[in-house]
Amino acid sequence: MGTILKLEDICYGYTDGSYKREILKKLSYEFQEGTFYTILGPSGSGKTTLLSIMAGLDKQESGKIYYMGEDIDKMTLYKYRRNKIGVVFQSYNLISYLTGLENVLLSMTETDNKLPGNHKELAYALLNMVGIANTKADRLVTHLSGGEQQRIAIARAIACNVDLIFADEPTGNLDTATEQEIIKLFQMLSERFGKTIIAVTHSNEVSKFSDHRVLLKNGILNDL
Amino acid sequence: MNFFQRAIRYVKRKSAKSFLLAITFFVIGNLVILGLGVSQAADNAKILTRKKMRAVVSYEVDYEAWWDYADNIEDSEEREAAYRNGPVVQKEKALEIAKDERVLAFNYMVNDAVYGIDLEFVPLGNDAEKELTDSENTSVRQSFMVYANLQPEMLEMAEGTFTILEGSWYTQQDIDGARPVCCITKELADQNALHVGDTITITSVNQNNKQDYENAGYNIEDLNLELEVIGIYDTKENVDPNSENFKWMSSFESPKNRIMMPLTTYVEHKIAAGEMELTVHPSWYDPNYTIDDIRKGAETPNKVIYLLDDPLNVDKFVEDHSGSLGDFLRLNANNETFKKMARPLDSMSFFANIVVWIVVINAIIIISLVTALTLKTREYEIGVLLSMGVSKPIIVVQLFVELVLLAFLGFGLASVSGSIMAGNVGNLVLEYQTSSEAKYEDNDNDSYFFASSDSYFTEVSQDDMLSEYHVSVSPLLILEIFILGTGVVLIAIVIPSFMIMRLNPKQILLEQN
Repeated sequence: MGTILKLEDICYGYTDGSYKREILKKLSYEFQEGTFYTILGPSGSGKTTLLSIMAGLDKQESGKIYYMGEDIDKMTLYKYRRNKIGVVFQSYNLISYLTGLENVLLSMTETDNKLPGNHKELAYALLNMVGIANTKADRLVTHLSGGEQQRIAIARAIACNVDLIFADEPTGNLDTATEQEIIKLFQMLSERFGKTIIAVTHSNEVSKFSDHRVLLKNGILNDL
Repeated sequence: MNFFQRAIRYVKRKSAKSFLLAITFFVIGNLVILGLGVSQAADNAKILTRKKMRAVVSYEVDYEAWWDYADNIEDSEEREAAYRNGPVVQKEKALEIAKDERVLAFNYMVNDAVYGIDLEFVPLGNDAEKELTDSENTSVRQSFMVYANLQPEMLEMAEGTFTILEGSWYTQQDIDGARPVCCITKELADQNALHVGDTITITSVNQNNKQDYENAGYNIEDLNLELEVIGIYDTKENVDPNSENFKWMSSFESPKNRIMMPLTTYVEHKIAAGEMELTVHPSWYDPNYTIDDIRKGAETPNKVIYLLDDPLNVDKFVEDHSGSLGDFLRLNANNETFKKMARPLDSMSFFANIVVWIVVINAIIIISLVTALTLKTREYEIGVLLSMGVSKPIIVVQLFVELVLLAFLGFGLASVSGSIMAGNVGNLVLEYQTSSEAKYEDNDNDSYFFASSDSYFTEVSQDDMLSEYHVSVSPLLILEIFILGTGVVLIAIVIPSFMIMRLNPKQILLEQN
């Protein structure tokens, strides 16, 4: 197993008037391939900020991020987001005027790492894998439950044929039973398909099932 | 799923928003079609009327300007001198203008009423002739009109008004050599049993003064001009027996009594006659009057007429040559009358264009605002797309495609309803315009212009022009509207695009979370 994502001296802070609050302080860490990580930490510790930076949605003030040894700044953040990673959000972030299938297809066709074969069939297969039947896949996402939407969000994250998936409080809006099902999905992705999952969570239940638990405190990451 | 597919799905599935935007485009489309349709119909009517008119331009003295100038010279001697040396058309300039490639033919031609010696005119059969025949000897009347020209390519030949029936037209060599030749009408030839090769005799000298010439030791017959008939032609020109002037028309005004001849030949005759006349009747002339004045008078036409290849070239032709004509000379395309006739259409076109501009500007503002406001509700979607690595320009393009689809839908429907509306509104406005113009014309009395005997301008009325006014939405106009619509959307998308470019995916998604 090699390093899929390497953080090197990452710094980030907020400026509030004349006061600057440092969130990440020369944070360094290496994430290994095919592992399910959960990042824990108290509220306001900067978990979501760290995830945004790792997912290329925001830019660190200093430091480097390497994906498979390649500096993500050099490959441009757009390309990094499009071709190297998938993101699952707490509020699913699906496009409301598209069906579940179309949301997955969107991700599948937007990437440069297109999966070979018939995209529609592949999308149905991915949705079936995460527990969405074809009849539900063809509905507008606004007509589906939260759990179903989150499953579609996970299918969408893996549809772009990437090895690294970030999840920001993926079960935050779900009931306990659904939470369990989503955790199992992440486990399956990691164990069966060798995907690296990095999930930010408050939930001990989620972290309990991960391969590796990391604590973000005082601006740095420490293994638990 | 690319931006185009996403745009189509958005338009289809957000039907309420799409419907409202399509309605907006529909209303805008109707107003634009109304404006452009009315304006285009007005322009078309003017073009069609222009095409009906002959493509004729006259190089002439601007007498109105000249009299204005001369009458205002305070010193009487200077004023008299100015009157004696009034402006005339310049031969060199006339020939230079004739070299323009748009000129098909031109008439550098003088005309003069002459006496025929043993030559019978073609009678008009009007009251004037009957009275004169009873009271006067026809041989002492000017019964013929000589038309003497500088070159053989006349308008009448180019337009087919004259067709040579027998013999041939005189050539440039005949003109340059001042040969005593002429062409006469078929009717005049028949009247006198003349054929090609025969001769006719004419003179410009007043036959009633024969005794004066003999008393001075001259034989008036020495001034007779014998011309060989080298061509007999048919003319389409005729006089209208129902016209007001017909009753008292002189026979030389009949096109059938026209004698065509080289200008050089005619000028030589006029100089010979002038020399003798100055000797016989010196008191009739200004002491400063010389043979040069006679030559100048004889060889200078009142106007030079150019026939152009296309009526639509007339304005440009006038513009191109007007700068170098000299004082008190002008190129007249009869534009003033045409412009007066076109006034109702011009007013309509002007206001229609203003409407179009107002609508277009408002459309840009409205669509910009609507899109910007809609964008606020779509930030979340944009954040998701950005998080998936869709670039901002592609998101702008998607937005543009959505608007263009709705614009095309709205404009498509508007092209049907707009044409009906434009037709009705256009006719209504035109009716109002012409009725108010008519009141004005009653005082102005210049809404109609006539072709005088030596006028080459075509007779066209305002009714002719207005009858050409038809609002129709042509495929070209629809294309124009769609291009305009795309342009409106393109400009309207600028502000929302800046808003998109400023968006930060992390911020959007965190706010949502």
